[in-house]
Amino acid sequence: MGIPNLLSTILWLPLIGIILIFLMSRESERAIKVVALVTALLDFVLSLFLLLSFDFTNPGFQFVEKSIWIDFLNTFYFLGVDGVSILFVPLSTLVTLLCILISWDSIKEKVKEFYLALLFTNIAMVGVFLSLDLLLFYLFWEALLIPMYLIIGVWGGPRRIYSTLKFFLYTFFGSVFMLIAIIYIFLQYGTFDYTALLGKTFAPHVEKLLFLGFLIAFAIKVPMWPVHTWLPDAHTEAPTAGSVILAGILIKLGGYGMVRFLLPLFPQATLYFAKLILVLSVIAIIYAGLACLWQSDLKRLIAYSSVSHMGFVTLGIFSLNPIGVKGAILQMINHGIVTGALFMCVGVIYDRTHSRAISYYGGLATTFPLYAAFFMVFTLASIGLPGTNGFIGEFMILLGTFLRDKLMVVLASTGVIIGAAYMLWLYQRVFFQKPSPNVFNLTPMKWNELTAIIPMLALVFLIGFYPNPFLDFMRATVSQILLNFR
Amino acid sequence: MVTLSLNFGVLAVELVFLFMGLFIFLIDKFINNKNYAFYLAFIALVVGLGFLLFTPFGEFAQAFKTDFYATTIKLFFLIGFLLVLFISYFYLQTFKALNVGEYYGLLLFSGMGAFVMLSSQDFLTLYLGMELMSIPVYFLIASSFVYRRASVEGALKYFIAGSLASLFYLLSLGIIYYFIGAISFKEVFIKLAQGLYKKEMILALLLILSAFSVKLSLVPFHMWAPDAYEASPLPVTSFLASLIKFALMAAFIKILIVAFAPLKISLGELLIPITLLTLLVGALLAIKQDNIIRMLAYSSITHAGYASLGLLSGDFLGYGFTIFYMFVYLFMTVGTFGLLIYLAKLKREFLEIPALSGLSKDLPLISFFVLVFFFSLAGIPPTAGFMAKFYLFVMLIKSNLLWVALLALLFSIIGAYPYLRVIKVIYMDKPLHVVEKERYGFSMLFPVLISLLVVILLGIYPKPVIDFIQRTLYLYLSLLYFHF
Repeated sequence: MGIPNLLSTILWLPLIGIILIFLMSRESERAIKVVALVTALLDFVLSLFLLLSFDFTNPGFQFVEKSIWIDFLNTFYFLGVDGVSILFVPLSTLVTLLCILISWDSIKEKVKEFYLALLFTNIAMVGVFLSLDLLLFYLFWEALLIPMYLIIGVWGGPRRIYSTLKFFLYTFFGSVFMLIAIIYIFLQYGTFDYTALLGKTFAPHVEKLLFLGFLIAFAIKVPMWPVHTWLPDAHTEAPTAGSVILAGILIKLGGYGMVRFLLPLFPQATLYFAKLILVLSVIAIIYAGLACLWQSDLKRLIAYSSVSHMGFVTLGIFSLNPIGVKGAILQMINHGIVTGALFMCVGVIYDRTHSRAISYYGGLATTFPLYAAFFMVFTLASIGLPGTNGFIGEFMILLGTFLRDKLMVVLASTGVIIGAAYMLWLYQRVFFQKPSPNVFNLTPMKWNELTAIIPMLALVFLIGFYPNPFLDFMRATVSQILLNFR
Repeated sequence: MVTLSLNFGVLAVELVFLFMGLFIFLIDKFINNKNYAFYLAFIALVVGLGFLLFTPFGEFAQAFKTDFYATTIKLFFLIGFLLVLFISYFYLQTFKALNVGEYYGLLLFSGMGAFVMLSSQDFLTLYLGMELMSIPVYFLIASSFVYRRASVEGALKYFIAGSLASLFYLLSLGIIYYFIGAISFKEVFIKLAQGLYKKEMILALLLILSAFSVKLSLVPFHMWAPDAYEASPLPVTSFLASLIKFALMAAFIKILIVAFAPLKISLGELLIPITLLTLLVGALLAIKQDNIIRMLAYSSITHAGYASLGLLSGDFLGYGFTIFYMFVYLFMTVGTFGLLIYLAKLKREFLEIPALSGLSKDLPLISFFVLVFFFSLAGIPPTAGFMAKFYLFVMLIKSNLLWVALLALLFSIIGAYPYLRVIKVIYMDKPLHVVEKERYGFSMLFPVLISLLVVILLGIYPKPVIDFIQRTLYLYLSLLYFHF
């Protein structure tokens, strides 16, 4: 059995929700939320269906849809999934779904616009992961900026405008170089078709420049040190849903782009720059980890920890061996789950107290025990305790890097220790100690918060204890990509 | 032996505009219900459209010729003209002190001038058309002096700038006549193709380029634009920013193709610094503006700069992209100004950016439209503004002007800021005013909706329009050179 044009259906399904919400009156907030929820749920179910019908023995692209889009430019409406992108599609739809749930009560203004923006985000995110045409990819990549700009700027915290402009201009700046590189590739080979470009070679210096063009865009998105400074600002000021999307998907786009474009298209340049990127990754891991230690703001701390974790991801990708790359992809999924969940958790107490200061809290474990248990699990997953998903990813990355560069592994491993230090210290300050007067009488967790957090909890343990099926998806494709580096 | 063929059929559209304009002037004194002028102008445009599409191509006295190129540009022009007419109608309903009959009459005369310019076969006819197009606009800019004394100043500035352009142009005309002994495009082309008078013609081209730079408000001749834009009634500003620039750009391309094609290498050298400066200066000056019209005026300077990027390569591919850019810009401008008129009707202060704070709370749909148009103006996908820029960058890199493309892209990041700021004010700031929710009927948003549709559709699927333009240019060129 099969659904014709499954990928297009997944991609454009939210459009139906968008049109419906667009036509509804602003006052019927409940109906708007329900429509958004149902759309996102359907989309998630469809993407699960995609996951189940994926053939993981096939390293190539599946469910391919290709039709001519602008023939003058030889571009295609070209969609497909392979082992690299397959896991990100359900992750994106899941994140959207959970964002709708978590924002159910916390977004009170401009409800209609908020859910429109969320569904639009869903289209753009899925579109980025499905596009196999460079121009189409760029289109979705840039289109994602619009709803994110609004989500952070309209519904964010007090310094949201500074943050959202910084976010926008940083990523816009990065994309420009990618656009130039894409145009250059087009002029050299006359096509934007990704599959047609595989195996094409470039003159060495051109390849390096093209690599850098793409790298700037991806490095800003990831974000790598030293272009990471937009992320803490954006994360801190974004509403919960915005933070979850940022952590869950948006910063994954950079890592995804590296695996999708840098490694297969520019193998020589990748080898040439690998060392540099490994060093930058290790700096990110240690620097951002240390920065976490002196954060006084909950969200800011988790944002810096994202920079540190994404350092592991780039480390894994540029270890250039199968176990490291698979670990990096898995770690991107893990980080999406764990950090997304941590932001949801912060959102839960932020909605009740309207404070993100660590010193504001204390003793939450006694006054808010169920919540404390959730937070504990995600803290431990973030540290990478065996049995949680974080361990598998980090272990694979370190193992992969070990085969490439032993010094980097030693340095990166200190990042693991720093990670344990800041997360446990955070937990100690917020949940233990003498209960602060601010944390009594918190309203219990609501249905929407529980339904949003529990799936994340399940995924933490599922991947933690039985990562095999997840790794199966990427095995064939990753080994094919890495054929260049034998 | 030259025989004159006086084929009035090819002048049909221009004659319709002329007579309808004169008719409106004639009866304006005797009719009290001022809407009549709108209907007459509308009829003139529709009849003109009919003539445009169904009259066979031909020549009038070797000075005026309808062909693929002129007809296509006129068609685009007429579509934009109709939209401008509609937004003028909605504007004039509120701002009644303007002389309605005169307004539409002048608009028709200006359109007629544009059409004469587009069909011209020699430098003199082109000049006549250009002046005929500009002079009514001087009056139109000054026409809102009842509201603002500045309008006279704006008109005067535009007039002086226009005179400067004429000066450059006529000087060039003199040079051409002195050396070539004729003023038709064909003669210049033939002499240049024979390798004669290259240096002198570069001087002439430089002067013509200066003249068009003034009219298109390219740096360093841009200073008139913000004042003139701010001073005019809003629909006139949109007419000035979109249609007049569109026609001028098309006419300039025509000169480049038909007369100066053998000189195409030199054009890039002359134009690259101008274009890059225009992009930078326009973007930088737009940042600080609090008045939205002035902001759009500076952004219009920037957009003229982008459009001229297409001229750098000197081949018809680039020219086609320039026309496409102006086409997209036309709809973005008309749409934006349609929205501004709507806002100005609600509250005059809405033309100041800070006054728009929190507008999205009371006017969500209008705010959303502003969002789409401004993201398109900033060149962010999936809008037509991105596609138009994208084609230009492809062309630039293709013609080995990678560094120009890089600089232009960097300037476009600066250029995005003013638009982002307006969106920020509308969506993210605290509301200042309480606005009655969407007081006016939706019918007045009709031109806006059409523009919106075009902006979104061309953002997703620009192919038909691009193809149409390229095919026109190709046919035009092949038929043109066939004669030589």
